[in-house]
Amino acid sequence: MFDSLDISASALLAQRTRMDTIAGNIANMNTTRNARGEAIPYRRRFAIFATGRPDAPNKAGVSVSKIQIDQGPFRKEYQPTHPDHDKDGYVSYPNIDLAVEYVNALEASRAYEANVTAMEVSKAMMNASLRLLA
Amino acid sequence: MLIEGLMNRGNGALLEQVINFASQRHKLMLDNIANVDTPGYRQKDLSVEHFNSMLQDRIDNRRRTGQASFEDIDMKTENPLAGILFHDRNNRSMEQLATDLAKNAMMHNLAIELLRKQFQQMEMALREKVV
Repeated sequence: MFDSLDISASALLAQRTRMDTIAGNIANMNTTRNARGEAIPYRRRFAIFATGRPDAPNKAGVSVSKIQIDQGPFRKEYQPTHPDHDKDGYVSYPNIDLAVEYVNALEASRAYEANVTAMEVSKAMMNASLRLLA
Repeated sequence: MLIEGLMNRGNGALLEQVINFASQRHKLMLDNIANVDTPGYRQKDLSVEHFNSMLQDRIDNRRRTGQASFEDIDMKTENPLAGILFHDRNNRSMEQLATDLAKNAMMHNLAIELLRKQFQQMEMALREKVV
């Protein structure tokens, strides 16, 4: 009975990781250079979910199997005065669509809430069981 | 002997099975909610009809023979076709899940409460006074 909380907790962790990648994407929406200062734009990241937990293989739950990098084309903007423009005057911006990120963030937040509610139900059930002792 | 009779003749053994079933089903539902965004995940559930018919069968059997055996009730896992299949091959249905979770929790708490009342009555009889 007590491990039922772990199932919901694994989902909370997974959804929070997803939220972190979304936050990273939104923060880097206009990043045209990488950490070393080279003119390689940031690429969109997204979390891939998989059933089950690596730390407890035969238990139920969910986990983030990997953080995938989106290989889609960059967003081009004509900015000839920008230091990172190409030979035609276009600057490559990260392949991030703010609308998509917002929708994903909303979905992650709702899924997180659903799991918190499920946890409350589990706790209520456990409390009822424990009251048998008293 | 007396305690054993009280436990196995009355509703105790029956309620125990209901509680056991409800908590197993609760775990599957938590798994379903946890995997609401996992691509390719199919919803899992325990067959309530199957459990009810098996329980009814055992109760009838006990009425006929006076023998109580609730131990051999098996729980059948099924994949309900509740939600529509989304593009990520997940057939989630949040409303269905929330309803089932609430109903199942109520069922569990009802069984617990009945069991509690039964224990209280037993205690009352043992103490020979009304608490």
